Amino acid sequence: MAKIRSLAALVAGGALAVSVSACSAPGEGPGDSLTYWSMWKEGEAQQKIVAAAIADFEEETGITVDVQWQGRDNIKKVIPTLNTHSVPDLVDGSFAKLAPVLAETGQAKPLSDAYATEVEDETVADLIPDGYLDDGGLTVDGADAPWMVPYSLTSDAIWFNGAEHPELVEDPPATWDEFLGTLDELKESGQAPIGIDGDVSGYNAYWYTAAIVRISGPGALQEMAADKSGEAWGSPEALEAAELVQQLVDGGYFVDGYDASKWPAQQQGWAGNKSALLFNGTWIPTETGPYAADGFEYSSFPFPRVGDGPFAQRADFVGFAVPSKAENSDAAQQFAAYFLSKEYQDALGEDAKIIPVRADAPVSPEMGSVKEALDSAEGYFQQNDGISFPGYNEKLLWPAVDRLVLGKSTAQEFVDAMQAGQADYWKQNS
Amino acid sequence: MTQVVSSSRRPASEPRRRATATAARRGSNAVDAGRKRLLVPFVGPAFLLYTLLFVGPAVYAVWISLNNWSGAGPMEFVGLDNYVRLFSDKLFVQSFQNTLLLLFLVGLAIFVIAFGLTLVLRDMTGRKVARSVIFFPHLVNAMIFGVLAGFIFNPGGLVNSLLAGLGVDEPPEWLTQDNLFPLIMVMMTWITTGYFTTILMAGVDRIPPYYYEDCALAGANAFQRLRHVILPLTWDVFGTCAVLWTISSVKIFEIIWVFGGSTGQGMPPTQTWTTAVYTYVTAFSGESVPAYGAATASAVLSLAVVSVLVLLLRRVMKREAVEF
Repeated sequence: MAKIRSLAALVAGGALAVSVSACSAPGEGPGDSLTYWSMWKEGEAQQKIVAAAIADFEEETGITVDVQWQGRDNIKKVIPTLNTHSVPDLVDGSFAKLAPVLAETGQAKPLSDAYATEVEDETVADLIPDGYLDDGGLTVDGADAPWMVPYSLTSDAIWFNGAEHPELVEDPPATWDEFLGTLDELKESGQAPIGIDGDVSGYNAYWYTAAIVRISGPGALQEMAADKSGEAWGSPEALEAAELVQQLVDGGYFVDGYDASKWPAQQQGWAGNKSALLFNGTWIPTETGPYAADGFEYSSFPFPRVGDGPFAQRADFVGFAVPSKAENSDAAQQFAAYFLSKEYQDALGEDAKIIPVRADAPVSPEMGSVKEALDSAEGYFQQNDGISFPGYNEKLLWPAVDRLVLGKSTAQEFVDAMQAGQADYWKQNS
Repeated sequence: MTQVVSSSRRPASEPRRRATATAARRGSNAVDAGRKRLLVPFVGPAFLLYTLLFVGPAVYAVWISLNNWSGAGPMEFVGLDNYVRLFSDKLFVQSFQNTLLLLFLVGLAIFVIAFGLTLVLRDMTGRKVARSVIFFPHLVNAMIFGVLAGFIFNPGGLVNSLLAGLGVDEPPEWLTQDNLFPLIMVMMTWITTGYFTTILMAGVDRIPPYYYEDCALAGANAFQRLRHVILPLTWDVFGTCAVLWTISSVKIFEIIWVFGGSTGQGMPPTQTWTTAVYTYVTAFSGESVPAYGAATASAVLSLAVVSVLVLLLRRVMKREAVEF
């Protein structure tokens, strides 16, 4: 019977191994510690600031923060834990990554405590500008508090080299017609007007999203996407936005070879003055800095006005969320609020060169024009206008926008394709 | 196959006592009995781990594929809906076609070239060096080639610079969305051919030289030698290679993921998707609610296709093994 004994030992050993590995994630006891899975990797500027905040927080409160610097895939790693009782107490990420996984599946805790916490004599609810809280989709329908505490944001802008184009710093194009005028002037001067990495669908989609949001306001694209019949794409606004993009293609304003290159070739080329403008996110100065031509001065202006639509700006939040099963939710919310202290907000702006969420935190000179646009915005919208229906962006919207931006379909063909494709999509996904 | 050393095994039902009793007289039975005794302790752990780590999750995956599930929260049982939807999803059908293109078209190219190389390399001087050289691409991670392709084929890249030097003013736009998949197929052929050439050569090398001498004496030409000696004696090696390629081709993922230009940014264009990429995007797109049910349905379907193809292949390739 040695056989059975040894088999039993094996099974027991295996079971032990499985249970030990399952138990290693959460903190030891409730209240005095918390587990935090961070989106930052060791060595990044943001990581250094968060690490400093953790050290101060531990000293002030006596709460131990068990932090894991996991990087941008941290949310993907959270998904499997959501079905267990060993969820991390605190995670951070961009709105676009957190919302589908936590908020829309009912796995995010409303952060009433964090929002009521006072940081330097003001509650968190007061520290975060009202506009963000009203427009941002941070509160799930029916919940009494937002599920996310944003600590910084990313936005987008049309970037250019201020040293090469002082005229754009002085007098940036404000309307679409002025913008086309600028493009023509650039073209005549012999410089390719717009640099774009056409192989990155998300970047191509910025153009259509920005155009439709300018015409119909924030949330318009999401509303169109939610239409089960797809007929919303038959609206004149949907077509007009597509026609704006088509004008750029037909005008030959995009840099040569944009449809046959691989990221980051074109944005590097732009930083080397091969093209004049780049419509991209606020990470561009950091990302292209190492390749930038001598004397490159990062400047930007917002996507121009189209018609009478509201002048909304993109505000993708980066911030904390607490899974609903978190054991140390109180401590987690306490830290989320603590990180909004002025000291760390200033450091995010000055050292990490990103845009802190607090209006009173300074930003680096590169971000000056973006911050200005955000502060005076008439509304806010998210990347892809907040669409997170399963596979909608990846399988329907982006491939269609790709064809439009790469010049393979006209504006009319684009809206027709979206209309038919969306009807199919909802047939399959409802 | 070469001769298999087969032991005269006793039926498992035979009482052990008798085996031990006769062991004194016939030495081999003591070995047999020992073998039987050790079967469970030796096979058991592997069997257990395999069940725990592979069979269990596979069965669970089939269950997930019958549900709508976003990875957390409640599952909603939908029966075979996910499978029905897959076939009405144009994108899945297109991804599936791409997988089949890789399997059959690239597979055919690989085998024709590999076999051609085998015949050439057999008599070549310095063939050991040549063999290492053609095997080399297989040692390098496919992702590297995917990334490298960006540098080589970019508008201002190596290929176009060379072409410009030759006076070509308007070189092709290599990396447009529609050109990517053909490029990937060429790249896959190039990466994989060396691997299968090496396996086929091992099979061809095994053929004793006296068969060739016999051919020479009989006045057979190169084609007859191929037809009557080389092919029949390496047929089983071919069969194994075909199965290996079938399995690996259905799983091709990483080269497409980076070849499409998504080195950290977004994802490849849908024109290049295979079922593996489709599955991944459906489950882990990162910017929309995960659809685990649909993703596992696609994965289970891929597994089923591979299984059926392998069974068919084994049937088609089945020949009496020639022993020599």
